[in-house]
Amino acid sequence: MTARSALATKADRRRRLVPYALLAPGMLWLLVFYVVPMFRLAITSLQEGSLEQGYQFTGNLDSYASVFTTYLPQLRNSLMFAFGATVIGLLIAYPLAYAIAFYTSRWKSLFLLLILVPLLVPFLLRTLAWRVILADQGVVVTALKTIGLLPENGRLLSTGWAILAGLVYNYLAFMALPIYVSLDKIEPSLLEAANDLYASPWTAFRKVTLPMSMPGVISGTLLTFIPAAGDYVNVELLGNRNWTMMGNVIQSKFLVIIDYPAAAAISFTLMAIIVTMVVLYVRKVGTEELLT
Amino acid sequence: MTDRPNSAAGGGSPAVELVDLTKAFGDFVAVDGLTLDIDENRFFAIIGPSGCGKTTTLRMIGGFEEPTGGTIRLHGEDVTGTKPYQRPVNTVFQSYALFPHLSIFENVAFGLRRQGVEKGEVNRRVNEMLDLVHLAETAKRKPRQLSGGQRQRVALARALVNHPRLLLLDEPLGALDLKLRKEMQLELKRIQQEVGITFVHVTHDQEEAMTMADSIAVMRDGRIERMGEPVEIYDDPRTRFVAGFLGASNLMEGQVSGTDGVTVAGGHTFYVGADKLGGVTGSIHVGVRPEKIHLTHTDSDPGHANQLKGAVTDSSFIGVSTHYLVQTDAAGELTVVVQNLGAERFAPGDQVILSWDPDHTFVVAS
Repeated sequence: MTARSALATKADRRRRLVPYALLAPGMLWLLVFYVVPMFRLAITSLQEGSLEQGYQFTGNLDSYASVFTTYLPQLRNSLMFAFGATVIGLLIAYPLAYAIAFYTSRWKSLFLLLILVPLLVPFLLRTLAWRVILADQGVVVTALKTIGLLPENGRLLSTGWAILAGLVYNYLAFMALPIYVSLDKIEPSLLEAANDLYASPWTAFRKVTLPMSMPGVISGTLLTFIPAAGDYVNVELLGNRNWTMMGNVIQSKFLVIIDYPAAAAISFTLMAIIVTMVVLYVRKVGTEELLT
Repeated sequence: MTDRPNSAAGGGSPAVELVDLTKAFGDFVAVDGLTLDIDENRFFAIIGPSGCGKTTTLRMIGGFEEPTGGTIRLHGEDVTGTKPYQRPVNTVFQSYALFPHLSIFENVAFGLRRQGVEKGEVNRRVNEMLDLVHLAETAKRKPRQLSGGQRQRVALARALVNHPRLLLLDEPLGALDLKLRKEMQLELKRIQQEVGITFVHVTHDQEEAMTMADSIAVMRDGRIERMGEPVEIYDDPRTRFVAGFLGASNLMEGQVSGTDGVTVAGGHTFYVGADKLGGVTGSIHVGVRPEKIHLTHTDSDPGHANQLKGAVTDSSFIGVSTHYLVQTDAAGELTVVVQNLGAERFAPGDQVILSWDPDHTFVVAS
């Protein structure tokens, strides 16, 4: 009797440990490669000094202030481009995902594969390809000039439009796939039920399809906005100096100027701003859908 | 029954009139020139095996499927070609199709809100309807928090709250277990009588249809094979298909002899009402339902005009009844169902006499 119950408690205890065992590798990874560097970065951001003389911890907040004194235009650019890329990406990806989910029964996998194909090409190469597409003598510029949307001496490369195009393109798959997944889960009978209950196709879309696809929309917009706000490659390759973003500032502080405290402080500020916006956004658009 | 070929009896104008309704999917004709009237306030069931066109017919009445030919009139108004949201019809879907992102209250309120019903009125009617289906306490929950039977009742409430003059039910009880299904059958029947609207119910379950419906149409290959009240078509199925689909039957092949008899292969003659033969001659099948056969030992009086000798080959006790297989010389193996009233029992090997009333004998074309 006692031997059996002792055995049972032992088995119970082992079962209770399973979730922790499954979590352990991921937690360890995050601890070593995320929490520790973040902590060190936080300390660095409060230091003063130079590469030659070494850095001292002084609790100096000047580096933080510099974001709002010196780098406000770059911050504005980051948020503006990330927001623009998210909106345009959503406008392109939603109809695309909708069409794949509801109108392509036989070719569904093929279309999904086509969305993923660009991701097989390295990020840098993909972005470089847009230099060719948007080149001054390229097809796009010539076509836009012909129909009069671009003046005779107009160009696309090295403009804000090129950065926006690059950002939209690079993150489109991350927008389209989550939306597709949530749309694909919607049973056609739900739309028939809405029609049966006096909803026109447009009303059925607003009242059933759209709310049911919100988890995908939220995921997709976050997966676009967050990396786009920190992006620096698209400005580097497609834009010009007037449009530098926070990512470019951080990159040059870390790797060119080698001012670690400033780089760390700017990184933290950008992170805080993005996290705040994300929290506000998710609370506004619907937390409940995310949890289901 | 009226004298129209496919008409469920009743007064007033028909709730549903289908005229030569046809639906083809490519080469496959799902519904083939169907003509049918369903009168108001009836509980009308369409039954048949899968692929017989019953669901397609229902979907065309609801507007989810465009007919390839023919006309649909609801309460005298031609609705052919109109959209589902333009029809005064509501549907209870097979999978319930409840909106997972909305509460039970909002699911039921959906149709009223789309019609622009005033807010206080929406609250009143939704609560009233949730009371009717005994779900008032679930109003705030989401569909996934409800059991199958509760979801089914929400689907019903969501349709009925709109006070449609016609309610379509597409295998509404198919996903429920047997006990719950039996309960819901009675519940549905009660609600139909309470709200007094026309129900058109599609099912493949003949027992469910007979339990609930006032009239039944048996469909086969896109056409109506037999239509009438449950008792009427059960007792006189008229075709082999209907006899086999609606309950169990003993069918024996034979030749018409005289005006009211059928002689089977073994040389034995059964009496059939002359009205049932209706003057046909030649080869025909004669049938009798297993529970209509009276089983007696050879030494006692069988009591009915149609008689056969046989030997019990198998018996299985079901609880309310016992099912026997009896091998007869004249007509092969027959199934007999005897109510367990405490009367005599038979064991395999017993010599017995099977007898039944000529009124309980039916004939179907060969």
